[in-house]
Amino acid sequence: MDTFLQQLVNGLTIGSMFALVALGYTMVFGVMKLINFAHGDLVAMAAFIGLTIYTQVLGQANTLFSVLVIFALTTLIIAFAGVLLERIAYRPLRRAPRLSAVVSALGASLVIQNGIMLIWGPRMKIFPESLIPSVTWNLGGVVVSFLQVVILGLSCFLMVALYLYVEKTRAGAAIRASSINQDAAKLMGINVNRIITTIFIIGSALGAVGGLFIALYYRGITFNMGWNYGLYAFVAAIIGGIGNIPGAMVGGMLLGLFNAFIAGYVSSTWADAFTFIMLIIILIFRPTGILGERVAEKV
Amino acid sequence: MKRILAMFAALTALGLIPALQVSAADVIKIGVQAPITGQYASEGQGIDKAVRLLAEQVNGEGGVLGKKLEIVSCDDEGTAMKVAICARDLVNKGVLAVIGSYTSTCAEAAQRTYFQAGVLQTSDGTADSLTQHGYWTFLRNSFPNSAEASFVADYLVKEKDYKRIAILSDFSSYAEGLADATVEAIEEAGGNIVFRDKIKAGAQNFTPILTNAKSENPDVIFFAGYYTDGGLLRSQQVALGVNADFVAGDANDNPDFIKLAGSAAEGAYIVNVPTPNMLPYELAKDFLDSYKAKYGEMPPSIWTLLNVDGMRAILHGMEETGGTDTKKIAEYLHAMEPYPGITGPIAFADDGNRTGSGYMAYRILEDGTYEIAYRQN
Repeated sequence: MDTFLQQLVNGLTIGSMFALVALGYTMVFGVMKLINFAHGDLVAMAAFIGLTIYTQVLGQANTLFSVLVIFALTTLIIAFAGVLLERIAYRPLRRAPRLSAVVSALGASLVIQNGIMLIWGPRMKIFPESLIPSVTWNLGGVVVSFLQVVILGLSCFLMVALYLYVEKTRAGAAIRASSINQDAAKLMGINVNRIITTIFIIGSALGAVGGLFIALYYRGITFNMGWNYGLYAFVAAIIGGIGNIPGAMVGGMLLGLFNAFIAGYVSSTWADAFTFIMLIIILIFRPTGILGERVAEKV
Repeated sequence: MKRILAMFAALTALGLIPALQVSAADVIKIGVQAPITGQYASEGQGIDKAVRLLAEQVNGEGGVLGKKLEIVSCDDEGTAMKVAICARDLVNKGVLAVIGSYTSTCAEAAQRTYFQAGVLQTSDGTADSLTQHGYWTFLRNSFPNSAEASFVADYLVKEKDYKRIAILSDFSSYAEGLADATVEAIEEAGGNIVFRDKIKAGAQNFTPILTNAKSENPDVIFFAGYYTDGGLLRSQQVALGVNADFVAGDANDNPDFIKLAGSAAEGAYIVNVPTPNMLPYELAKDFLDSYKAKYGEMPPSIWTLLNVDGMRAILHGMEETGGTDTKKIAEYLHAMEPYPGITGPIAFADDGNRTGSGYMAYRILEDGTYEIAYRQN
């Protein structure tokens, strides 16, 4: 039982990080029908920028103020980078065949990844340990750390906030409208370009928070980590139903839990294989993902 | 006719002239085959510098058998392709013994050439295969990978008397090999392994596997793998409250292990051959002092000094046999009593393996420095 609960805590923690990153994929796909392969690399970049702010700007001070500054500045910078990415790599190809945009996304991913390598070097960098107090509680054999509580709490808060924003506000209605039919949305007076900029801001910012969480939780950051986490988040988005915002949240959590339990009860060597087997099974029985709705294909 | 003459001249240049030089020379030539440029340049240069320093010291005391030593270096660049050229070149120049190369691959690629020419070779390569070809010319001056496993087994079972041992590795051939050999050695020593699993290198999230290990209540976790995973493993182990000692294999001996593990690094153990400054022997201190005085820096690693010990053994063999017959020297070295070395007593088994174990277990202290926790005699 202890082991089960411990794996549950482990799974929820990594699941919430997957979910945050998955939101970036799913929102962009929802509106633009484009898989933003460079998203994972923005996540990696967030970790490096956070580290640079910590060492260069804050002089390695471990205070609450530092944490706030790191999160605020990194999120801002990555949001801006996301907008820039859309302007440079995707907007010129808006009317081009779908494949061109996908290739452009892959290219952007390589550019960012190699950019990180050139700026910060190919070696693993190490995120500070004591930025978040390393307090742990032992709840009847289950160990929960303060950092895990922060990650889980903040992720849930951000996801609920995003859900309310998309479902309950006018701007959210505009996002939903653009994702259903861009031309109709334009005819209704919605500035679709602005919507796309908005989703890149939100998606990249959430990805930045996810990247900082990954860096804080695992501490070792490498220039190519975006590929790994990007892939997982992408799978999470598909499992939940790509294009569907609550779907990405559910998908992320599910993937985290699944990973933890497979590693815990079967073998960690098989965790990846089982993850992708699950993906295939879900795609066979529910091609649109768990929360995805069946929509008639436009011809 | 002209062509035949030219060929004859070329043959003479290749084969005969060096032979004549050797017979006429009143020097003993020692070759260095090392990666002086390329990926392992710092190690290769270290070996070259250290060998030259030793030769200088020996010559200062009158040389060996009344003859001066002359060092001939060849840069194998750490590539097997260049090795073939180097090995031929050194043999043609009439060396009596070759020190090197740094990597097992390059040492192995040259073995046959030296064996056929009857030239002694001593290398720090750790691959077990180096001594499995039956070449009497080869003397390993380091300790093979399997020696680490038996050291770990000895440390965990005999010295620390752990009752419940957990073993983790990744999937690399180095780590799996070390873990398998360790499991075998522990079982042979009568130890009790309660958990054995593998991690995916770079996966970062090791809490699930550690949670599993925790349910077996191990009192020690031995990790065979690299520091990038080892540091995280240790940090997550402590965060998860797994109350077990953590012992990590030689590839964790890196400053980044301590940074990654953070405050959890304290109290972790690392098993490795010692760094030069950790060597407890008088001979080591003297040699390091003269190395520093001559080159203004410390040798790049322990591998440099192991090669120096290989050369010292060969010189000792020459003195004892009173000649330059390599076969006799090799026979003497295979059977000799341990000879004091910079890296510990030197003795060789019949297959050319260095006997004994240079491994030590270090405990990481609060400030990130090492303390010797255990060493075999």
